[in-house]
Amino acid sequence: MSAARSDGAVVPPVAVTGASVLTPLGDSPSTLFAALLARRTAVVPLADLGGAAGAAIADFEATRYANVRGLRLYNQPTRLAICAAKLALADSGVEAAGLPKEQVGVILASTFGHLETLIEYDRSLVTVGPQRTNPALMPLAIPSAPGAAIALAFGAKAFSVTLSDGGASSLDALGLGAALVGGGRAKACVVVGAFSACRDLVLAAGRAGLLAQASDYRVFDRRRSGLAFCEAAAAVVLERPEDARARGGRPRALLGGQASTFASDPGRLAPSLGRACEKALRAAGVTPAEVDLVCSGASGSRPGDAAEAHAIADVLGGAAARVPVSAPKANLGDSWDASGLVQAVSAMSAMESGKAPPIVGLEDAEVPGPNYLLEEASLAVHHALVTSISHDGACSALVLSRPHG
Amino acid sequence: MRRRVVITGCGVVTAAGTELEPFWRNIMAGTCFIGPVRHFSCPGMDPLTGTEVELPEADASTENARGGRCGQLTLAAARRALDHAGLRAGSPASEGGGVVVGTTLGEERQVGELDDRWPASGADSIDPGFFSRSDNHRLATLVAARHGLGGPTVVSATACSSGNAAIAWAYELVSSGGADLMLAIGADALTRSIYTGFLRMGALSKSICHPFDRRLDGVTFGEGAGALVLEEAEHARRRGATLHAELAGYGLSNDAHHITAPDPNGEGTVAAIRQALATSGTALGEVDYVSAHGTGTPYNDVAETKAMKAVFAERAAKVPMSSIKSMLGHTNGAASAIEAVACTLALRHQAVPPTANLTEPHPDCDLDYVPLRGRPMPVGTCLNLSAGFGGFNVCTVLKRAP
Repeated sequence: MSAARSDGAVVPPVAVTGASVLTPLGDSPSTLFAALLARRTAVVPLADLGGAAGAAIADFEATRYANVRGLRLYNQPTRLAICAAKLALADSGVEAAGLPKEQVGVILASTFGHLETLIEYDRSLVTVGPQRTNPALMPLAIPSAPGAAIALAFGAKAFSVTLSDGGASSLDALGLGAALVGGGRAKACVVVGAFSACRDLVLAAGRAGLLAQASDYRVFDRRRSGLAFCEAAAAVVLERPEDARARGGRPRALLGGQASTFASDPGRLAPSLGRACEKALRAAGVTPAEVDLVCSGASGSRPGDAAEAHAIADVLGGAAARVPVSAPKANLGDSWDASGLVQAVSAMSAMESGKAPPIVGLEDAEVPGPNYLLEEASLAVHHALVTSISHDGACSALVLSRPHG
Repeated sequence: MRRRVVITGCGVVTAAGTELEPFWRNIMAGTCFIGPVRHFSCPGMDPLTGTEVELPEADASTENARGGRCGQLTLAAARRALDHAGLRAGSPASEGGGVVVGTTLGEERQVGELDDRWPASGADSIDPGFFSRSDNHRLATLVAARHGLGGPTVVSATACSSGNAAIAWAYELVSSGGADLMLAIGADALTRSIYTGFLRMGALSKSICHPFDRRLDGVTFGEGAGALVLEEAEHARRRGATLHAELAGYGLSNDAHHITAPDPNGEGTVAAIRQALATSGTALGEVDYVSAHGTGTPYNDVAETKAMKAVFAERAAKVPMSSIKSMLGHTNGAASAIEAVACTLALRHQAVPPTANLTEPHPDCDLDYVPLRGRPMPVGTCLNLSAGFGGFNVCTVLKRAP
């Protein structure tokens, strides 16, 4: 299969050969998916934030997942990212295959991954003065630091690039990873996203009115009132299908198309996401009628969820009433830089299991048209559309397909 | 089949000039703009040495400043590049276009402003706007919103090679058909974490930076932004744009060696150069000029010299290589984007800029670094090298317009 890009250029699809998640509802794709099917929710009231909604991984211990030198120096998002990368590399078999380090690359989705360390370092400049700061902190306080730490942890020498595109980060990162692997710049690329909101960020978001009350948290619903931050990480390993097969690896899904757009006006979000979906579908050579599942990024945002619903209905057209729509953020909250990857891994689980999870808490959909999943569904997923909108208007869409044979 | 990518617009905002012609004239003359920093301070370290940009009033407006200093520099460079490319906001040519911004530090000053209030106010100092102000993605969306760009809005971080990484990703999007037009920007403001961090690591120059010189003792920082409009060649021709240069390809690598120190043998730089040459279809003998990363630290400049020798062998000493950081200071994520603009101008003017402050070469730096003054010469192909804290290497290849 070859994929036609927007201008008709032909780009071969890239295979997903390994996946991982670290979430409050499970630390593997299968345990997370089982929790989604069981309608479990991770969203709880945050301590001392007046009941604002959030979710965190209980008792996360990085050394359970990765034995990497320097791990204790890194902040929580970096540790999460390293562990997720480690699990995905192990799942793919790339680590065991012993690929040359020059053939392994890293793409990290991280907008706020450095922020906690930057605040700690910068605040120490104010409180104790520049001569008494911890010099080891500063190199870890810049936005590219988590990406450097991951490359160092695995000796990945092909490349390490960090994308900071807010809620669209990880779908954009998958697009970049696919382009670099498809273009032969690495034999394997781990695409990883991680998010753990530091206290200052949560306080600012709460004071900005972005966060829902935990008791009211829901997505797509008329009564939705905002976001819930979710601590999480997710990763996938991308390879060219022929490279994966040559080393005995198994393509679990094909990434055929990804596209990004932007709308500064909230009123233009729906057509903007619609354009991204159409471009991604064209790039993958998939028609709207062939889409079997939409894994939406609906997050509880008032403009964002409405735009997702309108875009899905418009893009799918006559198929909208048939194609099931799931939304893992209903269970987890918004894991920001990791969210698109969590959705992609969830879509892969649906492909492999023949099941799709319901949208927990959805009772009164605001926008009619899409086939919101209210109960677990059994279905054959050949092509899944994954969507995301960042709070500042970036839209991203991705198409995953089941491998042949 | 890859599509050809051309550069149809450039913009710079630097201490050496905020328009292309004075910028080029000043760097060709070898004028060093490093001096006392007047508009930025750092507790316990003042007076600072570095370079600052004097923005014209139109770019220094309150509205532009609302995005923070880095956003202000980003917007200023973006406007210049789009004007240079003859693109107007909301035109059909720009609507499908996107923007990639590369930055080392982003809006770090936003954190500084919050922390200044911290001792007196504690958690009460955290205002609702901090959430969006601390989000570096804002750098890209500010530009897209201002200029009616409806395509991808991306912020990439590869430390001090971020500008080149932004160019590489914009190239990837245009050459593969993901977009017909992309604005690639590198931007950074002076921040106190970078000054204090480098001071504590002993990597800050005690005077001014002297790339490749016997006196090289560390970095001198500056602020600025560089922007390039990358466009699919036929798209550019159809709208009658001037083709200033071709972006022929790029190479990436990571040292995976140390969280701060580069590989001492420059092996990552070698890998990035070789990949850039291979993917752009460039023979070694075609390279006329190399824009060095050239930070003025022994680590970098010696390793970069070794990398040149490893790639070019006996021809290394015959390929002019210079560092304009000797005049502008190290503008972090902006540096390689500004240097890409300098390469574009080198191709246009058939001359290469010099390394200022270079009077006696370092004993381990024995190549042609174009000392002191620019040099007229035939220039058909330029390599633009960059490296970043954490081992991020990116090399872009620029050629005369097709």
